[in-house]
Amino acid sequence: MANNQRGGGIQRPNGATQNKICQFKLVLLGESAVGKSSLVLRFVKGQFHEYQESTIGAAFLTQTVHIEETAVKFEIWDTAGQERYHSLAPMYYRGAQAAIVVYDIQNQDSFVRAQTWVKELQRQASPNIVIALAGNKADLAASRAVDYEEAKQYADENGLLFMETSAKTAVNVNEIFLAIAKKLPKNEGTGPQQNIRPSGNETNRTSGNCCSK
Amino acid sequence: MSPAVSKINSQLSAFTFIAKLWQNEAVSSNGLPLTANSISIFGRFQILKSFRNDNLTQYLNIERGKHERTIVISEYYGSSLNETSNKNIQYENILKIFYQCMTGLSFIHNNDIVHHNLEPSNVLIDEWHNVKLFNYGFYYMTRGDEDCEEYVTFPIGSNIRYIAPERILGNNGNPKSDVWSLGMIIAELVFGISLWTNLKFPIIARKILSYCTTTGSVLEKIARDHNCLEVYNNLNSDFKDLLESCLAVESKNRPTCHEILNSSIFIHHQESIAFKVHKKGIRELAPMERLEISQIYYLWQLTGGDVHSELKKEGLIRSEAPILTVPRLVLLQSSKSMPNYKSQSSLFDQRVVILNTKNLSDRLALIPKRAFYPLLHCPRLPYNFGAEMRNLPLVIRERNIEYQFYRVVLFSRLLKGYPYTRDLIIEEAKKDIPPFLRGKIWAALLNVIPTGRYEKVDKVTPNQTDRQIEVDIPRCHQYDELLSSPTGHYKLKRLLKAWVTSHPQYVYWQGLDSLTAPFLVTNFNDEETAFLSLYNFIPKYLHNFFLKDNSIIIKEYLTKFSQLVTFHEPALSKHLNTISFIPELFAIPWVLTMFSHVFPLHKILHLWDRLLIGDSSYPLFIGVAILKQLKSTLREAGFNECILLFSDLPDIIMDTCVIAADEMYEKTPKSICHRKHVWRTEELEIFDITNIELSDIQKEISPRISANNLIYLLKEKPNQVVVFDLRPQNDYKRWHIRGSINLPYTNLMLSDRRLESINVERNTLQDKVVVVISVSHDNASLFADFLVDCEISMVSILHNSINTLHSILPSNLFGT
Ligand SMILES: Nc1nc2c(ncn2[C@@H]2O[C@H](COP(=O)(O)OP(=O)(O)OP(=O)(O)O)[C@@H](O)[C@H]2O)c(=O)[nH]1
Ligand SMILES: [Mg+2]
Repeated sequence: MANNQRGGGIQRPNGATQNKICQFKLVLLGESAVGKSSLVLRFVKGQFHEYQESTIGAAFLTQTVHIEETAVKFEIWDTAGQERYHSLAPMYYRGAQAAIVVYDIQNQDSFVRAQTWVKELQRQASPNIVIALAGNKADLAASRAVDYEEAKQYADENGLLFMETSAKTAVNVNEIFLAIAKKLPKNEGTGPQQNIRPSGNETNRTSGNCCSK
Repeated sequence: MSPAVSKINSQLSAFTFIAKLWQNEAVSSNGLPLTANSISIFGRFQILKSFRNDNLTQYLNIERGKHERTIVISEYYGSSLNETSNKNIQYENILKIFYQCMTGLSFIHNNDIVHHNLEPSNVLIDEWHNVKLFNYGFYYMTRGDEDCEEYVTFPIGSNIRYIAPERILGNNGNPKSDVWSLGMIIAELVFGISLWTNLKFPIIARKILSYCTTTGSVLEKIARDHNCLEVYNNLNSDFKDLLESCLAVESKNRPTCHEILNSSIFIHHQESIAFKVHKKGIRELAPMERLEISQIYYLWQLTGGDVHSELKKEGLIRSEAPILTVPRLVLLQSSKSMPNYKSQSSLFDQRVVILNTKNLSDRLALIPKRAFYPLLHCPRLPYNFGAEMRNLPLVIRERNIEYQFYRVVLFSRLLKGYPYTRDLIIEEAKKDIPPFLRGKIWAALLNVIPTGRYEKVDKVTPNQTDRQIEVDIPRCHQYDELLSSPTGHYKLKRLLKAWVTSHPQYVYWQGLDSLTAPFLVTNFNDEETAFLSLYNFIPKYLHNFFLKDNSIIIKEYLTKFSQLVTFHEPALSKHLNTISFIPELFAIPWVLTMFSHVFPLHKILHLWDRLLIGDSSYPLFIGVAILKQLKSTLREAGFNECILLFSDLPDIIMDTCVIAADEMYEKTPKSICHRKHVWRTEELEIFDITNIELSDIQKEISPRISANNLIYLLKEKPNQVVVFDLRPQNDYKRWHIRGSINLPYTNLMLSDRRLESINVERNTLQDKVVVVISVSHDNASLFADFLVDCEISMVSILHNSINTLHSILPSNLFGT
């Protein structure tokens, strides 16, 4: 199997081997040019490229965050935003435990599009998927077209995490990923040997957030 | 700097200036940083390179340095009117200068460009009083189209003596202002004077403006001012009228260039006043005189010519001590610092530097004269100079001045004969393509013939694709100076819209921008060729990929890709299959953009140089070659590492990649790459591969080979093919292919996945096309899988059962 050689558990210098590793598949969805790739780049590499290339098909990156004693490794699929690539999307969100649906606060259409993505996820993705809504380009609030309140209300009604983010200034970027990490169930089933396309066996999900040993 | 008239009239020259600096952190409304002004200038400059007119010096290149430093390289010709004595120029010659200046002006005006920089230092003449206008594009390149936004902070046309009154009052952009300037220049010649040599700038300005408020002839007033009334009174009256009309105070009363050129005094002398140099015989020409100036510039760079260092040598670029750039004033409260504004003179230095071409002319002198004029169709004489360098690595060939000289000369000739020389162009392009002529050569390879049709295609009407195109263009290869300039954006948008409107059956898919980019950068001044190249490229390599629903086409392509990976790299393919690393996850951008979305431009250009001489299957081999290059990493890696590797494609060495692709392409029988969804120019025959469904090939790990291809191999390359015949022994005895190996399927124990279990020596299969034939296609398939498991490469299955073969196998290929 692919990941076997890596064994389990990150070895910390202080010898604390108690850490758990949870691995989650996360997918980014949303209209083209709202900043999906930029959010991932900010989260994974701490960078921002003004001329970030458009995404064709999808791109894959990983990043690990630590929540208390648990290392949460995100396997991130950043998808293409153009509507035409829609037919590829299920390949990426199928079996995903988390999704970030992104819109651009300057663009009302992208918010509408985000809502269709949320509906599609609720219908087609695994039932326990954690969905976050990100209103990106918050640094350009001066030309805002989508109200914070309106989006917040929509998110609450649909049980979504919600933040306004800026890949450019880094505002709320780590935060949104951390919030997702907290909300994800971290039981033994999601070990590192799990494949990128997990079976979706998350029925014994614990309520609340981080599990304790 | 005063360039003396040298024997060779055309020289390379450069001048430099600094574009307007944006304040730190300046951003546009969409949050992106403002485009550097030098980039905007860079883009606008390009069209100037395409101007060809006897009375204009040719612009050659623009380069950017640090801190908005901009350098323009241009032809220089003879010496400027400034440096030649004004006195005693004969009337006929003044007429000639007047006429030729007007011809040059008329050309740029017809291209919607105003000179606004017309003064004696920018009028260059030779010993026969032929004229070429210099730096006529300075005003144009330093202004944007919208609201004439300015990319520099200094004024263009700094010599007040020649500036038309309306421009002094701030009205720019009127071509008639150039007519005034030329009128002033000619007036100086006529009177044999230099205007107001002792007056200061404001006084001259006031003088010119005073003409506007008083009546009477400006020419006469100038004559009076300079004590030349006598000359004035004796002027030929037609000539005087013409010159006076040029100096009409109100621009609307001045004639246009066109009207002036058609005035009677010129019409009657056209023969004697048009541009004419005393042609030397071919033998008398110095090597440099046998080349076009743009070729000279290109080759000059290859001899190590570096315009930055030439300008430094001449003191036009000075580096300032870092201490001097420390802000002089820092406002504590606003945390902003006041930058040190550079003085006007350091922003634009009027001097023109002649570039030293000694190295180049020395090198060219050593080249055999015959090589300058290769005779293509004369079998007795060689036209293939430089053949001995062919085996050097491409990077070396591309930087070798002699080699590039031969290639540029040869291809220039071939392109003149296009389309009749197309076959020769293809042959030569297989060796390599000189970067200098890439756009044109590509177009020839793609069968492009400009017809003027592009002009008629609608590129402006808004439609629903616009938003996508608009968000994609600012993300498309923006590290490139051309593509990031406003001109580049404008052109890319036009090309994309034109392509979409001319293909109602297709739609814009993200990625089409990247696909168009290489054609735009190689034909930046020739949108039609860029467009037609794209137009012909897509059916050839991406037939039907831009259908609204292209899933079948992509699936078929990727399946074929997987099969080819198995065909050439069975071990790698096995590993990738085990970890479910399927092409759908990484190869879509490769395919849909023919790699133009995944590599930087300089790599794409080299890749496409090869791709364009291959057929529609060639890109598949590039894909395999990329995997092959990363093989050692991939084989060790798990799914995540593999996919990460491709999300950020590492340094692929293009040269190696292309060579590997070539090798595989050559070794692979055509039918192995068969796809249903290609654009065919010829019908398939019954013994080619036909009637095959996607669902069938999706099940097959190894590709099929056609009966035609198998027979070809048996006939022409019997040592490169091994045939496994899986029929029962009796059938085999009745008839079989000579040299084929009979392994009756029913006797095979394929559970033991080792080659030894079937008693076949590995080395007998090495480097050969292995063809499995059977009455049952499923059996053939299973056996092929076995061979792949044993890591045998080039395994294929005969398409259609063996019985079809029987009917067309030549008798001498039957075994006994
Ligand atoms: N000002 C600002 N610009 C941003 C921000 N995030 C992204 N951008 C810019 O928006 C543009 C699009 O960003 P991408 O990350 O490429 O968008 P995407 O959603 O991945 O687009 P597709 O790949 O086409 O689906 C880029 O030019 C980014 O630089 C942000 O937070 N603030
Ligand atoms: Mg993206």
